[in-house]
Amino acid sequence: MVTIDYNINEKTMFCSFPARLDTNASLIIDGEINKKTDSIPELNGPADRITAKIVFDMKETSFISSSFIRICVATAKKVPSGHFSIRNCDPFIKKTFKISGLDTILNVT
Amino acid sequence: MADTLQEKADDVLNRAILAAAEFQQFDQAQTDHIVEAVYKAGLNARVKLAKMAVEETGIGIWQHKVWKNVIATQLVYESIKNEKTVGAISNDPNTGITEIAQPLGPIFAVTPVTNPTSTAMYKILISLKTRNPIIISAHRSAAKCTAEAARICYEAALEAGAPEDCIQVISSGSRDFTHTIMAHPKLALILATGGTGLVNAAYSSGNPAIGVGPGNVPVFIDETADFPFAVSSIISSKTFDNGTICASEQSIIVEEKIELQIREEFERQHCYFLTPEEIKKVEKVAIVADTMSMSPFIVGQSVDTIAQKAGITVPEGTKILLAKLNGVGKEYPLSHEVLTPILAFYSAKNYHQAIHLCIDLNYLGGIGHSAGIYSNDENRIMEFSQVINAGRIVVNTPTSQGAVGGTYNMLLPSLTLGCGTGGKNITTENISAKHLINIQRVCRRKMNDKFMSVSNELYLDENSTDAMLQYDYNKNH
Repeated sequence: MVTIDYNINEKTMFCSFPARLDTNASLIIDGEINKKTDSIPELNGPADRITAKIVFDMKETSFISSSFIRICVATAKKVPSGHFSIRNCDPFIKKTFKISGLDTILNVT
Repeated sequence: MADTLQEKADDVLNRAILAAAEFQQFDQAQTDHIVEAVYKAGLNARVKLAKMAVEETGIGIWQHKVWKNVIATQLVYESIKNEKTVGAISNDPNTGITEIAQPLGPIFAVTPVTNPTSTAMYKILISLKTRNPIIISAHRSAAKCTAEAARICYEAALEAGAPEDCIQVISSGSRDFTHTIMAHPKLALILATGGTGLVNAAYSSGNPAIGVGPGNVPVFIDETADFPFAVSSIISSKTFDNGTICASEQSIIVEEKIELQIREEFERQHCYFLTPEEIKKVEKVAIVADTMSMSPFIVGQSVDTIAQKAGITVPEGTKILLAKLNGVGKEYPLSHEVLTPILAFYSAKNYHQAIHLCIDLNYLGGIGHSAGIYSNDENRIMEFSQVINAGRIVVNTPTSQGAVGGTYNMLLPSLTLGCGTGGKNITTENISAKHLINIQRVCRRKMNDKFMSVSNELYLDENSTDAMLQYDYNKNH
């Protein structure tokens, strides 16, 4: 469903997703991401102690639901500003984030 | 937690915008699947919702509201089901232009107390067909039935794969809250069906709006008409849901020479002509004197109820009250719109005076809406149609059902009737799915050879006359 790797050297949690992130898939993904972030010390504690980053890689994804956008927002809120980004969006996914008005906050590229 | 009006509005619009973001990724098949599911759910709930609406609002007749629900679901669905509303919707190799349909974004739909569940379901269907999330604002006197209609549609939509929050309802919104949403920067369009104040508020919001307000529908019965048919047709329209459709007949205009026949026909078909004293009593309960607007207490009421409120006695089984008036305007309160089974009646000296009266009535608060004519003289039908300012001139047809479309003619079935610039609208059409898309045009290079053939020097030369330029432009080498 979702592949999550934490690179200790880069202090970055990389998440890559399947093609279709509908509401049902997002529910499962939400749980998996929360579980992983809770297990990484650098992603927990007071904001000034959080040193790690989170990157969502959308290379394989061609559809996202509003539930998934909510996951992005919730995940971005767990880390300081600038520590969350979304990469490798195809133009349609980029447009979807743009319409949501959250592309800047979520660092979508 | 959203506390202020602005925060509450932000919450509603943030949900809607996320739904819009998801929805715009759907293809035509996915979209059509959702629309089909929603129409079926709405159609299956037609009776329950009709009864709820009458019980809650105290307006209209439940059996007739069933028909409105059928129009809003089945007929609207049938009219839009094959329409292309996603992606490339046309391609013309001759012009090199391809049209692409894009959704608008969140739509704010205001629904009236007179047709609450039907208007909600119709607006939901045309919004979903165009991949637009919709926020329904229910009239405070029809909050429960409107919310139930929306809930039924929303559950069916979700089941069919629609985005979360693609349908939201504001059931107890204050006027200020409604205005805050109308002016919200994330809103794409307001679909306002209701009174003048509401429609004006929609247009003043700064967001695009399609607002449809009051009508004041004049109906001319020409001497060439089939009188019993015309009267029967008018009765079936004006009594439909106790006259709550804004396209229902308001005034009947005839020539003096046929007045008696028409009066007798109305009476034969169980309508009652009020005496001058009774007219005074009825107008007091029907029209608010200060504003010349209809009293909300008589909207969609039966003749018996109106008679009781006015303190008059009418024959048992009376279908419509008719008030013969001698003029139009403030001095004649019943010349204004009343959505209840009361009709103004005018007798004109001749055809031209009759048409003058129709024009006066048309401009008394109903510009751009609807009008009717019963005639078998095509010249008169066309003359009437050209002098009346109405989006729909329905011929030999009950105006309520005729203007709404889909049953007596091929007009698009709709519960929001565009009134053109007369009604401060951008269109005179019956509003449907096609009005809820942005059409992008991909314009391929197709040189205008005629323009290219004119020399630049000729255009730049001050002495080149229009005749010279026209000659060069149209020259066939």
